[in-house]
Amino acid sequence: MAFSLSSVPKRIHKTFSNLRTGVVLLILVGIASALGTFILQRPATDPDKLTRAYSPATLLWLDRIGLTDVFHTWWFLTLLGLVSLSIVLVSIDRFPNAWRFYARPYRKTDSHFRSALQNKVELPISNVEDGLNAAERALKKSGWPVERIDDRIEPSLYSERHRFSVMAVYIVHASLLLIFAGGIIDGVFGYSGFMALQKGEVSNKIELRTGGTKQIPFSVKCNGAGQENYADGSPKRWWSNLAVVENGRDTQTKEIVVNDPLIRNGLRFYQASFGPTGKLDGLKVAVTPNAGGEAREITLPMNQAVALAPNATVTLAEYIPDFFIRDNQIFKKSDDPVNPAFRLQVKNASGDTKLWMFPAYNGAAQGDNVGYKIEYRDMQMGYFTGLEVSHEPGQWLVWAGCLLMGAGLFVAFYMVHMRAWVTATQDARGNLVLWVGGQANKNRDRFEQKFDELVDNIRTELEGAEVVPLSAKKHKAELTLAGVK
Amino acid sequence: MATRARVVQMEQPAATGGNALLILVSLSMTFLLIVALLGAAKSGAALFSESNLLYAALIFYAGAGALYMGFGVTAVPRYVKFASIATTIGWVANTLAVAHRWYLSGRPPFASIYEMLLSFVWTVALLTLVAEKKFDVKIIGSITMPLAVVCVILMQLLPSEVRPLVPALQSTWLHVHVTLAMLAYAACAVSFAIAMMFLIQDGLKTETFLACTTATVSAIYLAIVGTRFDKGGLSVTAWDPTTKSDMFLGRGMRLFVTIPDLGWLFVIAALAAVVPLALYLIGKWKKDDSFFTVANRAVFIGILLQIVVLAAFALRVRGSSYPSPDQDGLFPTSLAASPFLLGGMVTGIFASLLYLMLLWRRADLEGLLPSSDTLDRVTYKTICIAFPLLTGMIATGAYWANRTWGSYWSWDPKETWAAITWLVYAGYLHMRITRGWRGRRAAYFAILGFGIVIFTFLGVTYLLPGLHAYA
Repeated sequence: MAFSLSSVPKRIHKTFSNLRTGVVLLILVGIASALGTFILQRPATDPDKLTRAYSPATLLWLDRIGLTDVFHTWWFLTLLGLVSLSIVLVSIDRFPNAWRFYARPYRKTDSHFRSALQNKVELPISNVEDGLNAAERALKKSGWPVERIDDRIEPSLYSERHRFSVMAVYIVHASLLLIFAGGIIDGVFGYSGFMALQKGEVSNKIELRTGGTKQIPFSVKCNGAGQENYADGSPKRWWSNLAVVENGRDTQTKEIVVNDPLIRNGLRFYQASFGPTGKLDGLKVAVTPNAGGEAREITLPMNQAVALAPNATVTLAEYIPDFFIRDNQIFKKSDDPVNPAFRLQVKNASGDTKLWMFPAYNGAAQGDNVGYKIEYRDMQMGYFTGLEVSHEPGQWLVWAGCLLMGAGLFVAFYMVHMRAWVTATQDARGNLVLWVGGQANKNRDRFEQKFDELVDNIRTELEGAEVVPLSAKKHKAELTLAGVK
Repeated sequence: MATRARVVQMEQPAATGGNALLILVSLSMTFLLIVALLGAAKSGAALFSESNLLYAALIFYAGAGALYMGFGVTAVPRYVKFASIATTIGWVANTLAVAHRWYLSGRPPFASIYEMLLSFVWTVALLTLVAEKKFDVKIIGSITMPLAVVCVILMQLLPSEVRPLVPALQSTWLHVHVTLAMLAYAACAVSFAIAMMFLIQDGLKTETFLACTTATVSAIYLAIVGTRFDKGGLSVTAWDPTTKSDMFLGRGMRLFVTIPDLGWLFVIAALAAVVPLALYLIGKWKKDDSFFTVANRAVFIGILLQIVVLAAFALRVRGSSYPSPDQDGLFPTSLAASPFLLGGMVTGIFASLLYLMLLWRRADLEGLLPSSDTLDRVTYKTICIAFPLLTGMIATGAYWANRTWGSYWSWDPKETWAAITWLVYAGYLHMRITRGWRGRRAAYFAILGFGIVIFTFLGVTYLLPGLHAYA
């Protein structure tokens, strides 16, 4: 065929409606996906690791070809698009035939069909009506619905089961497209991000995976979060008590755990991580007046004055998680709260006093002007809960697609379209016979057994009909044979 | 082929006698069981513990595998009878091991790679029995039983203590997802075994199997030499006996130690695998069958060498300490630190033994197998079972991921490879149903599919870690 512009769409159609093209595309998707798992991917690995793993030149080329982010490159998406196109075109190409087959079942056999069919038997009968009746009874006994096809010359029976299974493959393909559609919708309209909240914090901003932040139409407040451990110290449960805040009011609350998110307006909040903020939430101390008296436990938040007496306050002014001393100065060594130091400020009638407290050493702070002995009891570290936030409007299509695919695969693999034909006709020698034929679109060896059983049943029924007085039968047979001729 | 005819003639008298292997296998099984019993009695621990039961299962599976292979060589029907009895006993022991673990942990054994393998082996053994009883594929055990043995040996090396479930795994979907995965994988394993049977029945040339076997063994040993050979020594991961885990230099960086001189032994084993492959290629190129005869002898020598290497490896690695190139001092090693080296070596030995079974098979073995048409159809049927299960596994996995990680698909390596597996089988089904692919091409596809399943199951877990870190 000479090349002409008008043939381009035709060629494209011809190429993509070819099943081989579809399989080649599937293989390409497979290879690209495999590459995407062997080569470190940008979204999932930190940039340092990438620069360590590959030389700058290699990395440059990998980036250029998109191999460091295979699953989001234009060519991978194009490939998926072509697969979809191929599925659609292959299905469209084959659909009309299948539909014809489905909508207009082949009910009445002709001699060509009868000679070509694999599973067939000819049973001698003496009478058309009795033969067909016997066959009908046998079919019904075996659970086959029977349809009688009146024909003056060759009256016959048609029976079939699970005809819809021939359409199952289109259901499976449609379900795959549905899943793709869901994925595309999520790719375009969906977003996902992260929100880290401390206890009491309210926020309506999420940090998007793709970078930047997004404001959501309501706020989320964290009323508490925590971790429970097993006896061996491994984490058992992470939880966060969340509230949705709209117009200053809590409109929904839920304790979320891993596997059980909070859902609001199509946005899902997942328990993703949990960890220390490194900040101090509060310092618990016991305060005993120097003058004598009961010890009293108070909790000091950062930078907030707490009353000791009507005219005296104490403030936690500084917290160093891990300190060391050099030249009589206190410095921070690390962020791990292993050797903390606290600076307290006491204000009273005699003025301001600054005190240091080192729980790892003496654990008590005392000063002449303070009037109190302040002892360390406990420190409460601040925790944040990490929430994964995602908006996936297409996911319902994906789930619908999965269910449909499950149903489609079940029908396609396990429901067999079985057909049986019974025709009263004449064999090669001109004797009156009941021709019985059957066909299945899969699982043919099992069907052969079923067919043999069916034929046996018909035989038994025919023998039962044999009880009819011979003369009457002959009479009828002559009648019908006259009709045939 | 002259050699094969001669070998068959030599084997024929043994076939009529037929008891030698039976006695040998039952004696060695009894011996191993008595030794294990004595050991258990001495230690005073509970007799029917999970590890003892699993050990019993291992012995019975190995015995069954030997008998199935023996059947392939001698065609004594009694071998299959006893092999399937051994498989059944092994499966019962395996079931009890699963039950014991389930009882102790209060949840199905699905949470770690060890537990997954436990369930996988159980399903494979069950399907072997089903295939044998229902479809009359008698010899399938000669492929699935070695597979089961490799898995159980691997399990001995993996951390097996019952760990509490991490938060992400506390979901009903875990059970649904993993059950589907195990059933799908086991169905794929069976389709692989039947496809192999098909290739035998279809009269695929013994030389082709020679090429595949030696290529597999060469790949295993060249991969080991390529990654672990260190100035004549072999580098293996150091093992911390107190924490029972690999030793680490830093985050994600394992500490390697070098066992001196062992590397050369692996080089020799690799050569012993490459030589028959080269001989095959030369024979193919020169169209001279005499090269194949030499290659077959080389395979035989190769097996002996592989056993020597395995023994040397086991002896030198067990409970010794070696220096590390990265850090001063001696570090302990353990077989448990190198499950994949060991798994690869055992796989190599089994692959070679399978080849020997093929080489020495009786001329009338074909008559004992179902017809190639039946095998072809049964391969297709098992894939028809496996494919919807795979689909269900991926769909439930996606739904669960959506509840846990906030996204139903994140192109995590495990997910991606599951999708690739699915694509391969989808390709197989399309080519078979609409293009009428039958016979060899379909069988090759089924074998490729199972190779990818194994990679998805084990390879991804260890080579391409991602979100799916538990198993």
